[in-house]
Amino acid sequence: MLSRSSVCRGAQRALRRQCAQPVQRRGLAAPASGSFQYQTGDAKGVKFASRDLAGPTTTLALVSRAGTRYQLLPGLTEGLEKFAFRGTERRSALRIVRESELLGAELTSYHTRENLVIGAKFLRDDLPYYVELLSEVAAQTKYAPHIFHEEVLPLIQMSHKTFLANTKAMAISSAHSLAFHRGLGSPVSPASSTPYTKYLDTDYIEYFSKFAYAKPNFAVVANGAEHSELSKWVNEFFGNVPAQAPENLLEAVRDKQTKYYGGEERIAHGSGNSMVLAFPGSSSFTGGFYKPEVAVLASLLGGQSSIKWSSGFSLLAKVASGAGTSVETKSAIYSDAGLLYVSINGAAQNVAKTAMDAVKIIHNIAGGQISKEDIKKAKATAKFRELEFGQDINAGLELTGSGLVHGSKAYQLDETAKAIDGVTDDQVKAAAKSLLENKASVSAVGDLFVLPYAEDLGLKV
Amino acid sequence: MSQPSVAKFVMKRPWLNSWMKPLANWYTNAAGYRQLGLRADDLIPEESEKVLLALKRLPPKEAYDRVFRMRRAFQCSISHQLLPKEEQTKPEDDIPYLTPIIEEIEAEIKEREDLEAMVVKKRTARS
Repeated sequence: MLSRSSVCRGAQRALRRQCAQPVQRRGLAAPASGSFQYQTGDAKGVKFASRDLAGPTTTLALVSRAGTRYQLLPGLTEGLEKFAFRGTERRSALRIVRESELLGAELTSYHTRENLVIGAKFLRDDLPYYVELLSEVAAQTKYAPHIFHEEVLPLIQMSHKTFLANTKAMAISSAHSLAFHRGLGSPVSPASSTPYTKYLDTDYIEYFSKFAYAKPNFAVVANGAEHSELSKWVNEFFGNVPAQAPENLLEAVRDKQTKYYGGEERIAHGSGNSMVLAFPGSSSFTGGFYKPEVAVLASLLGGQSSIKWSSGFSLLAKVASGAGTSVETKSAIYSDAGLLYVSINGAAQNVAKTAMDAVKIIHNIAGGQISKEDIKKAKATAKFRELEFGQDINAGLELTGSGLVHGSKAYQLDETAKAIDGVTDDQVKAAAKSLLENKASVSAVGDLFVLPYAEDLGLKV
Repeated sequence: MSQPSVAKFVMKRPWLNSWMKPLANWYTNAAGYRQLGLRADDLIPEESEKVLLALKRLPPKEAYDRVFRMRRAFQCSISHQLLPKEEQTKPEDDIPYLTPIIEEIEAEIKEREDLEAMVVKKRTARS
């Protein structure tokens, strides 16, 4: 039987130790400071989230699950994005612009493969004005044919041209379409003129807007706004958006599990050379196919240095041959699938040589010829990237919004960081081995006489 | 520009309207454009920025019909003939199809001018 006083003393000591610990324990990887935590709420069916960062400005965004993955016809997402802030039933485009200029605000709209984001940055006091503006954009935009022809279409044509001039974007887009075919594989910006010559039309865009801006399909996210304020204004202004999409077309597209296919595509291009070697990657943390070792492998292959005056520790940075040749490894993460890709840019000879070396390096990692030190560095970089990305306001808004729309919680930053910490060396090697065993998606854009085939690289397609 | 008109003024006053209506009907008929198959809005002078823009904004079908009516009218005019009765514009078909677009453009221009001439006052209290 323990004496009472001894238990007490032990308990006191334990308590003291516990109290003292958190301060010491907090290092780079402890994002538990609560800065990433969004408060969430529901206002008459509209989901919203906010976090009150101290500061004089607010970033507000409407995140809709209407990225190119979910578009019903090619180019609809692009059209809808370009129609944002183009004049509503209540005020003209000019008025929106002038008023925002007077308030000193910034309006943005962009789309990714999965989300359409319409947002604004402004001074804290102007929250009601912008919540109202976003609700107007969602519910009352006028999809007038003359606005489409005079303002929207030239922008779409421009993004088409920019896309065609950028070999890297073309290669990445082509790799995505090889990997996922439809859905996630559909190009982010129009890859040909068919979307706007054949499919795009104000009626279709308006119809699609009823899907994109239906209450279950979007969330309003604010950074630097009081939760009670946001809740009040969302309640007041978002009453008139449609409660349901007109048909459940979108659900059919959405519930389909993305499948990985793989293959090879070669596109001749006169100005620039790019190659993308893509492999099945990791889905987002909530997606069910989450593999933290893919993130580590991506930063181990790397290519871009994060440190000044040094090519960095990453393996590809060392082999990137020739000036002006850039290599980059990315783990593109989507809600239910992912793509790990190495993109190489530069002169044709260098691109070909670097691609050969990249495959050789993957072979080396799979074969275990890799130092523990390098994997440790890669883990640290991967964790830092993950946390930093989550802290970035714009990325955070989109992640949180899409997390809300998908019905799950906000992006699980703490847990992804923890998962990366738990990756072992063997897991990384196994991941590299599985890259070589699975079918790859290889895309070459540029001088096809020089750029190698996947077969020459020794990849399965 | 849209055509100057006292129609609104007249139509607001029923007594004046009932008095003017037969006169107006006689006048439009006597103007002779309906006998050539045209509509009143086809007669708006094209040589101004606003009307040119409005013509660009016409839906394709309307634009095609407008050109058709004009060519038919030219043809009639050259050959010194009127259209047969059943092809002439009926009063109920003589609708303003271009005027609303021109008015919209005028409103846009006016809004722009108003915004340019705006005097900005600084907010006094920040809540």
